Amino acid sequence: MIFIPYLTENFLKYFLFLLICFFIFLFSGSTNAYSEKDLKKISSKLRCMTCQNQSIYDSDADFSKDIKKIIVQKLESGHTEQEIIKFLVQRYGEYIVFEPQMNIKNYFLWFFPFVILAISLIFLIFRIKKN
Amino acid sequence: MKKIVLIIPFILTLIISSFLLFYLLQNKDPKKPPSALLNEDVPKIKIPDLFDEKKFLTNIEFNDKLILVNFFASWCAPCKVEHPLFFKIKKDHPNLFIIGVDYKDPKNDALDYLKKDGNPYDFVGYDKQGLIGLEFGVFGLPETFLINKKGKIIYKHLGPLDKKIIENDIYPLLN
Amino acid sequence: MISLVGFANLLFSFLIGLIIFFSYFFNNKNKISRTYYNLVFFKFFFIIVSFLTLIYAYVVSDFSNQNVFENSHSDKPILYKITGTWGNHEGSMLLWLLIMSSYTLFFTFNKNLKDNIKKLTITFQTSLFLLFAVFVILTSNPFLINSINFEEGMGLNPILQDPALAVHPPILYIGYVGFSLILSLALAGLTFKQIDYEWMNTAKKLTLFCWSMLTGGIALGSYWAYYELGWGGWWFWDPVENVSLMPWIAGLALVHSLMITKKEKLLIRWIVFLSILCFSLSIFGTFLVRSGILTSVHSFATDSARGIFILIIFLVSTGFSFILFIFKTDDSEEKLKLLFINKSTALVFNNIVMIIACLTILLGTIYPIVIEVITNKRISVGAPYFNSTALPILLPGFLLMSIAPALSWQNNKLPKYKSYIFVFIALSLLSFIIVYLNTFNVWGFIGISLGLIIIFSSLLSVYFNYKKFGLRNFISHNNALLAHIGVGILILGITTSSVYKSEFSETFMINEKKQINNYSYTLLKLETNQDSNFQELVAVFSLYKDNKKIAEIKPSKRYYNVSKMITTEAGIYHSWFQDFYVIIGNEKDKIWSVKIYQNPLVSLIWIGVIIMVLSGFLGIRKV
Repeated sequence: MIFIPYLTENFLKYFLFLLICFFIFLFSGSTNAYSEKDLKKISSKLRCMTCQNQSIYDSDADFSKDIKKIIVQKLESGHTEQEIIKFLVQRYGEYIVFEPQMNIKNYFLWFFPFVILAISLIFLIFRIKKN
Repeated sequence: MKKIVLIIPFILTLIISSFLLFYLLQNKDPKKPPSALLNEDVPKIKIPDLFDEKKFLTNIEFNDKLILVNFFASWCAPCKVEHPLFFKIKKDHPNLFIIGVDYKDPKNDALDYLKKDGNPYDFVGYDKQGLIGLEFGVFGLPETFLINKKGKIIYKHLGPLDKKIIENDIYPLLN
Repeated sequence: MISLVGFANLLFSFLIGLIIFFSYFFNNKNKISRTYYNLVFFKFFFIIVSFLTLIYAYVVSDFSNQNVFENSHSDKPILYKITGTWGNHEGSMLLWLLIMSSYTLFFTFNKNLKDNIKKLTITFQTSLFLLFAVFVILTSNPFLINSINFEEGMGLNPILQDPALAVHPPILYIGYVGFSLILSLALAGLTFKQIDYEWMNTAKKLTLFCWSMLTGGIALGSYWAYYELGWGGWWFWDPVENVSLMPWIAGLALVHSLMITKKEKLLIRWIVFLSILCFSLSIFGTFLVRSGILTSVHSFATDSARGIFILIIFLVSTGFSFILFIFKTDDSEEKLKLLFINKSTALVFNNIVMIIACLTILLGTIYPIVIEVITNKRISVGAPYFNSTALPILLPGFLLMSIAPALSWQNNKLPKYKSYIFVFIALSLLSFIIVYLNTFNVWGFIGISLGLIIIFSSLLSVYFNYKKFGLRNFISHNNALLAHIGVGILILGITTSSVYKSEFSETFMINEKKQINNYSYTLLKLETNQDSNFQELVAVFSLYKDNKKIAEIKPSKRYYNVSKMITTEAGIYHSWFQDFYVIIGNEKDKIWSVKIYQNPLVSLIWIGVIIMVLSGFLGIRKV
């Protein structure tokens, strides 16, 4: 019965060691894997400001490399895609995002096509009904 | 009804052409987008002094002063071209506080450059990682910003300054 | 000396153009004399001599000519010296003038139209020629002489030294610029209120020809972008691409509208409107590209003075055309019999969908400019916008395409409609299964089902036609169906290659093998190559499937001596079912970083387009 405290003490140390290894593995490996796909996703939506119409993902320019570093940093500290994009838009303007944002000045851009389509189709339906 | 619809293509042509004409006449450069920070407050920053890294410049210094911020580096060729003009600006407007930010540059290179070509700046900041530049939306050197007494960025120029730009665009804002 | 000859001929052509234009007002408007035809010929003759002179200057590397000096180099291979003639702004505008004059000359051989229409068409066409000629002479002269004697030229951008890109501008222009003749024809028809059977026939053939060439030109550009730009993509919604797509869509709407007015004069106002729209969009496109107003991958040497000039040409010609349109359109018109659902309705629907898609692309392309003028903020309107707007708007059009040729004019019955419903349901299910077995993706499902439905519904219609008519007038009955099959194949290719494309980043050392799915890639060796004006480092990869060698893929990097540029050339193996696309990146300690794309069914894109172009040309013959 004397060896039980001895076993438990070593066992505890061993177990704690394994637990620490597990957490290191959990956070180092999986965090990076999580970031790779998200890095691609986010950087594909952003414009390389020193290139001719290329995305940050596709471009090898210094600017793109810098921005990719920033995105990775922010992903690793837990920022969401939305937050990262908002951060960059604040500094570089909406120009850096390929998709026009949904705000007042862009409502016309986003809605006009569908509004015109709807109006045209309504006219067409009326004309068909007449016959 | 029909006649009105027929006029639409002509009207659209006029409208679109006018916008395009305005744009062309403004001589905007597709490579130089307007700053996202125009009319916004200066970002919160803390710039270490190039000559003494223990000293910092913070936003408190930006109150009630007209400030010109110029991002440069020793490796940037166009920066060398505009560099002498800052001496003239300083002479013409002694009350203007001119800050130079050395962007992503080895410290010794920057110090040598300023020793050789002179230092026109009231304060030289050292932005080793480019984080200060990031806050200002810098993506290519040189870039120059003008901040008014209320702490708002009222002007940005991408690329090297020249006499014409200084006289036509910047000086009017200094009054 | 050469430049002087070239410029003199350009001036002569311009002068004759002036004579042709002004002579209209002093002679019989209803009769064309022999002299008039001769003048048109000489206008063409002088411009082609001028153009050939420029080519000659390039071939002999005459660097006293500023244009040759800026864009060429003695080390360039002879083929690219010649094609370099139009690989720059000034030369390409001279080509534009040449093609315009060629169309005018070609038009003189038309025997079906009456002289009054012919003469007025030629007058309008010549006035357009004059506008562009003044533009060239004043702002884009390819015959300027250098003040200094240069021994050597500044070389051409290595990216332009490419067979597809060399041929791309002429083919594109034969399309775009051809729309100018349609515009002139429409204005003449409006003025005399003579949009009749002969007019329709001429317009039909012309539009089909121009549109087919434009399709080919755009496809060539896409194909070039695919193998040259290194991202495995072939369409980027880049402003320059959008600008070519707009006249293409308008042209397609016009082709459809003209095809249907066989004996009845339906939709005349709409046809005239589209005729004006096509060339207006061509000019507008030229403006957007040459003025430097937009950032694009595909840029020219630009100048805002030139931009303003082209904008004025646009305003004058388009404005004038639309004003004429307001005052001269025929008020009397037969009402279309619109039923749910007959061919007329399908046609109207198709036009609505296409024109709105075209307007959307226009809006998206110029919106950043409008916003910057108003708010001094710059925004981007990129691929995500167009994929969420123009594409969905076109979808119902694509669906309707599957049955439209089989619809009737008079009634709303679709013969054997049950078979079509069966095809629709069966193929949707099949597509669902296919998509489910791979990675489920909504766009994948929509694209594959649409593509399959269009192909098989059209084949079904061909079968029914065969049962009804046998092989009599086979092309005549089935040409539209052939074109639609081409579109279906194109849609399939577009969907699979974008949705199911896979990208892999790998590192390779020499003799290292990497396995990707059931294919393996081995870096065999590195070779060096010396070509006429570049040095090349080629990485030779072998591609194996299940231990059987399929191909060698050779991506490379090139160093061009003169321009000191390094370009990366993709290595591509095209198989029927997949493209294997390899790009080499950087090397560190003998380890190469390599990107591999596997793009399924890309070949369908090119096959679909070839069928569409073929069908276009067949359509001309049978008309």
